[in-house]
Amino acid sequence: MTRKVVLYTLAIGFALYLVVPFYWIVNMSFMHEADAASVPPHFLPDNPTPENYLSFANPSAKEALVGSNAVADTPYAVLNSLVVAFSTAVVNLVLGTFAAYSFSRIRFRGSQVLLIVYLLTRMVPGIAIIIPFYLVMRTLDLLDTYGALILSYTTFALPITIWILKDYFRTVPRELEDAARVDRCGWFRMMWTVFLPISAPGLVAAAIFSFMTAWNEFMFALFMTSTISSQTIPVIAANFATDVETQVTLMAAAGVLAVVPPLVLVLICQRLIVQGMAAGSVKG
Amino acid sequence: MTPETSFSRRRVLQLGALTASLPALSSVLAACGGGGDSSGAVKFSGWDYESALVQANVDRFVQLNPGVPVEYTPITSSQYVQKTVAEFTGGGGPDALYVYDDSLAGWVAAEYLQPLDGLPGVDEVYAGIYPSNAEAMTVDGKRYGLPYYTDTQCLIYNEAILAKAGISAPPKTLDELEQQSQRIKDAGILEFPIGLTAQLQDTWQAWVWGLVYASGGDMFDEAGNPVMDGTDPTAREVLAWLQRAATVSRVIDPAVLQLLPVPLDDAMKAERYAFTIGARYALRDYNDPARSQTAGNLKIAYIPSLDGSATGTVSTTRMYALSKDTEVQDKAFQLLTYLGGFTDGQPYTAKYWFQKKGLGFPFKALEQDPEVQAGIATFADPEIYSGLADAARPRTVVKQPWYSEYENEQQKTVQQILNNQTSPDDAVRSLSAAVASLKQKYS
Amino acid sequence: MTLTAADTEQPPAAAASRPRRGLSDTARAYLLNAPAMIVIGLLVAYPIGYSFWLSLHRYNLKLPALERFVWFQNYLSLVSDPVFLSSLRVTVAFVVVVLGMTVILGTALALVLNETFLGRGVLRSLVLLPWAMPGVVNGLMWRTIFDAKTGALNGLLLQLGLIDSYQAWLTSPTGAFLITAFAQVWNTLPFTVIILLAGLSTIPSEQYDAAKVDRAGVVQRFTQVTLPWLLHPLLIVLILETMNAFRAFDTIYVLTGGGPGDATNVIAVLNVRTVLTYTDFGLGSAYSWVITIVTLVISIGYISTLYQRGRIEV
Repeated sequence: MTRKVVLYTLAIGFALYLVVPFYWIVNMSFMHEADAASVPPHFLPDNPTPENYLSFANPSAKEALVGSNAVADTPYAVLNSLVVAFSTAVVNLVLGTFAAYSFSRIRFRGSQVLLIVYLLTRMVPGIAIIIPFYLVMRTLDLLDTYGALILSYTTFALPITIWILKDYFRTVPRELEDAARVDRCGWFRMMWTVFLPISAPGLVAAAIFSFMTAWNEFMFALFMTSTISSQTIPVIAANFATDVETQVTLMAAAGVLAVVPPLVLVLICQRLIVQGMAAGSVKG
Repeated sequence: MTPETSFSRRRVLQLGALTASLPALSSVLAACGGGGDSSGAVKFSGWDYESALVQANVDRFVQLNPGVPVEYTPITSSQYVQKTVAEFTGGGGPDALYVYDDSLAGWVAAEYLQPLDGLPGVDEVYAGIYPSNAEAMTVDGKRYGLPYYTDTQCLIYNEAILAKAGISAPPKTLDELEQQSQRIKDAGILEFPIGLTAQLQDTWQAWVWGLVYASGGDMFDEAGNPVMDGTDPTAREVLAWLQRAATVSRVIDPAVLQLLPVPLDDAMKAERYAFTIGARYALRDYNDPARSQTAGNLKIAYIPSLDGSATGTVSTTRMYALSKDTEVQDKAFQLLTYLGGFTDGQPYTAKYWFQKKGLGFPFKALEQDPEVQAGIATFADPEIYSGLADAARPRTVVKQPWYSEYENEQQKTVQQILNNQTSPDDAVRSLSAAVASLKQKYS
Repeated sequence: MTLTAADTEQPPAAAASRPRRGLSDTARAYLLNAPAMIVIGLLVAYPIGYSFWLSLHRYNLKLPALERFVWFQNYLSLVSDPVFLSSLRVTVAFVVVVLGMTVILGTALALVLNETFLGRGVLRSLVLLPWAMPGVVNGLMWRTIFDAKTGALNGLLLQLGLIDSYQAWLTSPTGAFLITAFAQVWNTLPFTVIILLAGLSTIPSEQYDAAKVDRAGVVQRFTQVTLPWLLHPLLIVLILETMNAFRAFDTIYVLTGGGPGDATNVIAVLNVRTVLTYTDFGLGSAYSWVITIVTLVISIGYISTLYQRGRIEV
């Protein structure tokens, strides 16, 4: 019985811890500006209004008050973030699958060093590489395009993707591959029809990880982009922090918009994420 | 594990050294790829203050000069300096750009900009602007900018709040400022009558300089040597006053440590503070009935000084400059002239900014312009407004290569004064020591 | 993702049963790695190498005339650089506090989620919420919550009668430090919980049954059954979160900008400022490499202490 009490107390405590901060900005996003600054605060909007969200669709109404284009840019920034994060996830899975397969199935010289080198590239802070990276992107004529961001984030996420996938691939029974081979399947065909479908949880976990890496990143997004044709939501959110005549309710609404798409995604894939990560822990 | 990994680390280091030879290769690649912007447009970038108005003005320029297409890119203010540095370092800088007086000397040294001496119309511009602006845009005797706007720091007070506390005239000395604030506090009108912006920023904390300059002092001599710890006691006394007002009489809001400029503006417009120190142009916004609950009540005054005798303040100059490596120099300079010079004998854009947003004008002649005079009268006392312009001095220390590091140290020190983590004596001593070590680092 | 013994000790019979098609296994493996190696090599290897090369130079953009190769002088100068040393102290404290809170909260949350109770599915979903929040937005969110004038925390505490008047939480050095650490933990907790939960989900239920038969108490069951299985995922959490905490920038930058004073001036913030505001690329690169090497050494440290027994594998 005490066990139950402890369990439920902890569960409720954690639920509050996780939700209350986010609830606060959701709450504010439905307020009028005057209510948001009231003392004591309203923990529920007195007369809720969708006005802040509507102003993203119709920014001209707010333009008189808002100095920068952040409001008009927000919906496009969410769209850019989606495109970039989704593409990053796909590119990562393709590149990661090949590499991870080699680590999970083939014994080869230098595999250990290679794995560490992959990981090492993640230990160098972004600021160290941002300027030469900018130069590379400029040389490739990719500045201010999705390409620059997708490539950046691919390199960020790829090492961890490979680690996640190699662990999951190792749990796939070898017999399945052998069976496919007996059927004279080519390697690509075998991967596509047998191996990858079985590895779905690992692939989903890796994809979500890459997606989040891309969705959340700020500094490279700031430096590799210059216009709304590629700026992502963290860049625009930062504008709200410093430049816009602070309408906190508007900022809160932009913050909520920045959270909802990935949140929906992880909620859908919730079960597969844990399952996909679990593979690594089954080890000898 | 350990041996393998350290081995692999060595490997990586070797690899690093190897790839270091690549810059040559990539600069060759860059040279091939970067054969100039095929569109021939002038790439123009600036921080994103009122970017819609900038775009409108640029559009007007393009209409007047159909042969000069302009690609305007606003960059978020808080990251403008950093992003511009990254762009120039990566070889992708703009052709024409905004420059802070704070950054000018460093950017000249880094060879981002080219001098404008000898280009048509530059002499006329420099003859028509205030000497402090001309000085701010000159490095080693060469002129690098055409002015965007200039402004000076001033005391801004809410007349209505002062009247409620029975105060009829703004403070002349810092002690009066503290006493008046105390009266407002005691009357229960505001708990903390003084608001400032003291969160760490990558731009300058203008009001600190304003306070010191108002009392006739400086942190540095002309040669860039620190005097705050030696011959000039002003900075120490100003810091001592700040500490007293923040921690003893508690009239400065402790929350200023997390206050940024825009939220401060909001607070002033919402009557949450009676006093602040800010730029003159802020008053235009504060006294705009469409944007401020307390329009008409916010007044301009000289910054209070230690003994009430001195009048002084600090000025800042924002300018337009020309990139060193621009491939469209003539067109870019045409744009620059439109923005920072004369169009048909008139400083069109400077006046545009004054009329639209109240930004201080660098051209002396505009003082006599009836439209401008009428404009000033709508938000500030014209006599004090121009008196401040006459009394203002630019910071000379911004020409030192270590200035940005110093500014950061000074901001941190001011924070520590405000939250009582250091004493004024220690503060000036550590600032002076910081300068000494910076000088050594840069020698 | 995990570090397993099998990485070097390749799967039994793996290569042996594979029919060879003219390529050796090693060649085939590198062929499979080629796309990833090319992308990483082309895009990151050069910048990483270049930054190391820069760290061996005196190189401030404002002083192009003074640029020269100085070997390890930038690194040696750090020993007596008060700015760096104070930042290092703050960073170490930050990493320790963040890691401590992350591991404790993460383990507790994962253990709770591993039990069966009403609403477990809901909590499992909620735990992912902070993951979806970009660091910049996270910083903004906590700013509004801890705001001195209108913040939710002030309002709540006042209504509960715990404080008499609104407090400026972010203005004391300790307050600002703890709040940034707290905000960072909230943001990174989900990934930790996922990894730990994944680890817990692989514990065979027979082991718990066996423990029950032995009448082991809750604590005993945790130390004897759960903890050994959690060591592996905990190791990964420690490595990844150490990396994250050393590089934490977005949230802190938005929340405090590194202040007040030096209170939250962690090395990542100092590093960005040194490179982009002070344009000191030489010193800035040296900072970056210090972060890299410290992270690497700590990762190795974790692995070797946690895996003393038996052979150590990566």
